[in-house]
Amino acid sequence: MSDDVVSTLFRAVSDRRRAGDWPEALGLLRDAIRRSLLAPGDLERAGRILLQAPLGPTTSVRVLGQVTTTWIPPVLTALAWGDGIALAVTTGGFDTVLQDVEQISVDGAPDVLVLIPSPDRLLAGDDDAVSIAGELAWWEAVWARRSGARLVQLGYDVQEVGPRGVGLSTASGGALRRTRDMNMTLRDRLPAGGAWVDVDRIAGDVGRRAFYDPRGLRWSGQPWSEAGLVALCHHARAAIRAITTGPRKVLVLDLDDTLWGGVVGEVGAQGVAVRDTPEGEGYRAFQQHCLGLARRGVLLAVASKNNPDDAREPFFSNASMTLKLTDFAAFEASWSAKSESLVRIATQLRLGLDSLVFFDDNPAERDHVRQMLPDVCVVDVPDDPTGYVRALEAGLWFEAVALTAEDEARSAHYQAEQARVSAAAAHDGVEGWLRSLDMQAHVAPFTEPTLERVVQLFGKTNQFNLTTRRHTVDQVRAFATDPDTIALAGSVRDRFGDHGLVTVIVGVPGTEGTIRVDSWLMSCRVIGRTVEHHVWAAFLSEARARGYTRVEAEFIPTGKNAQVGTMYASLGLSRVEDREGHWFAAAIDDIPTPVTFVGVSPGSPTR
Amino acid sequence: MSDTLPRLVDVFRRVFDDDTLQITPATTAGSVEAWDSVMHITLMMACEKAFGVRFRAGDVAGLKDVGELVGVIDRLRTR
Repeated sequence: MSDDVVSTLFRAVSDRRRAGDWPEALGLLRDAIRRSLLAPGDLERAGRILLQAPLGPTTSVRVLGQVTTTWIPPVLTALAWGDGIALAVTTGGFDTVLQDVEQISVDGAPDVLVLIPSPDRLLAGDDDAVSIAGELAWWEAVWARRSGARLVQLGYDVQEVGPRGVGLSTASGGALRRTRDMNMTLRDRLPAGGAWVDVDRIAGDVGRRAFYDPRGLRWSGQPWSEAGLVALCHHARAAIRAITTGPRKVLVLDLDDTLWGGVVGEVGAQGVAVRDTPEGEGYRAFQQHCLGLARRGVLLAVASKNNPDDAREPFFSNASMTLKLTDFAAFEASWSAKSESLVRIATQLRLGLDSLVFFDDNPAERDHVRQMLPDVCVVDVPDDPTGYVRALEAGLWFEAVALTAEDEARSAHYQAEQARVSAAAAHDGVEGWLRSLDMQAHVAPFTEPTLERVVQLFGKTNQFNLTTRRHTVDQVRAFATDPDTIALAGSVRDRFGDHGLVTVIVGVPGTEGTIRVDSWLMSCRVIGRTVEHHVWAAFLSEARARGYTRVEAEFIPTGKNAQVGTMYASLGLSRVEDREGHWFAAAIDDIPTPVTFVGVSPGSPTR
Repeated sequence: MSDTLPRLVDVFRRVFDDDTLQITPATTAGSVEAWDSVMHITLMMACEKAFGVRFRAGDVAGLKDVGELVGVIDRLRTR
């Protein structure tokens, strides 16, 4: 953020304060903080304003450390305010933790006690076990005096590995070994309900050289750089949230270019990128991350601007999708504003908007939601899907202190609820969904007006294409005019709209009453909807009407059409073993009628 | 004559959140109400960013007034 914008912001805040309009001033600050627009120094400045501001009911937080904690209150207050949490933060003296915590019994307990160690005493002795036991006993004495305050305990970390060098520092007696063992011990002994903040991990994320400022300890007794302090307070904020209001509960996801690559309405359910390419693998990794969140109790929801059936179809019909419809507790696919979808999701789940985290690749949608719904957390999504998991994790929105069986059951509960709510519509299993689509097909011989579209389908259809023969317009016209050839094209529509001409099947005469399937293809837009069964039945009916008694068909693998490799076998045809290639055949009267949810359109020819 | 002092005025105003703050080479910590030892460190960090310099640990402790601060910054800037 440029200096000018920051100056303008603080001038506006200052003007509002002078005019006595604290709510407006606080709103401006909250907006700037939640958009991560402020550099560390400016965040501290905003925090100092907030420390004097009437924030309303606050959660009292007392920060006690074996180091200087003076700069924590403004930064922690600012970050929490950006998350919609009003804190009143105070600090104790430099390394007077035990004395300060004794005072709690006199002054009354704060809501939250944040405890910060320094490695100096821990590293002083020669014996690992003695030093660790000594520090543990000391912290347990502090914990015992907290008078009901909830705990946020920070872990140990060392700036330098010491004279042994990096390798030996991890062996018994080394600084790295001792701090790591200390952290595990302290973490395991932390009273139930307390939050652990892993400083070792935070320092690594920031980069230890940037996390610490070696001048700080000499100047003031504070070891962290400005950026390090902000990172530390970011984690402390998440920990305080975890033990007070609890973590956010719902991850609301966009679909196109968020859960998969591409626009499903354009590329179809099979055309979306969810594997194989580096980009596709990025989307897949993100889906796996989301699935993991769902399994630990975070609710997943969809807010997508799409046709409802387009939005749902990849979850049914694209085998490469990690997430299934049943992983979602709410599903809003429509053309209404995202803010309206989010409100509907919150209402359906009976949760507040401050339970939602919104993840959308489109910056315009993010901005819209930020403006309309300040309580919703909006994730800054990078433009590369391989960065999605990191971007979502960085916000620490779902940090919790314990996972309960209830957490894990929550998703299942909401999913069941969702199924009940929408039982009549889309989500009552695949069959219910297909039935609800109210699909109708019109299958008829090619005619001159449809020829161009048929040629186009021959040219570009890859996935549902049994032979992938790229017939030219002359060949297609020849099919259409040859009296012994069966050349059908089908169009499909459903209650959401018309898909147009999407499928073609061509049978040419073979020997002795046999019709040979030369080509059969279908646009990926309607894969997985039993349209193929309807077309197959129409083809057989036409063949029977023309006096054919036997059908033979070939599957030619191309590397892209594996999904139809078992098509003929599944339709009841037998493999022809003694013929080169993948040939199948059956007597027409022996072929069972496959299940279809597609009805016959009124315009369909009856022969 | 360097532009350090006029730019330093902006840094002070930003750090102390006061658009009317006036400083001269003779200004001392005692003459700015909020300029305590805590804000001194915050101020030094803001100076580093504004001027693209990095103080040595010993540079910022014994500064007598703003004039000396300008001197330190100018010395670092011409390196």
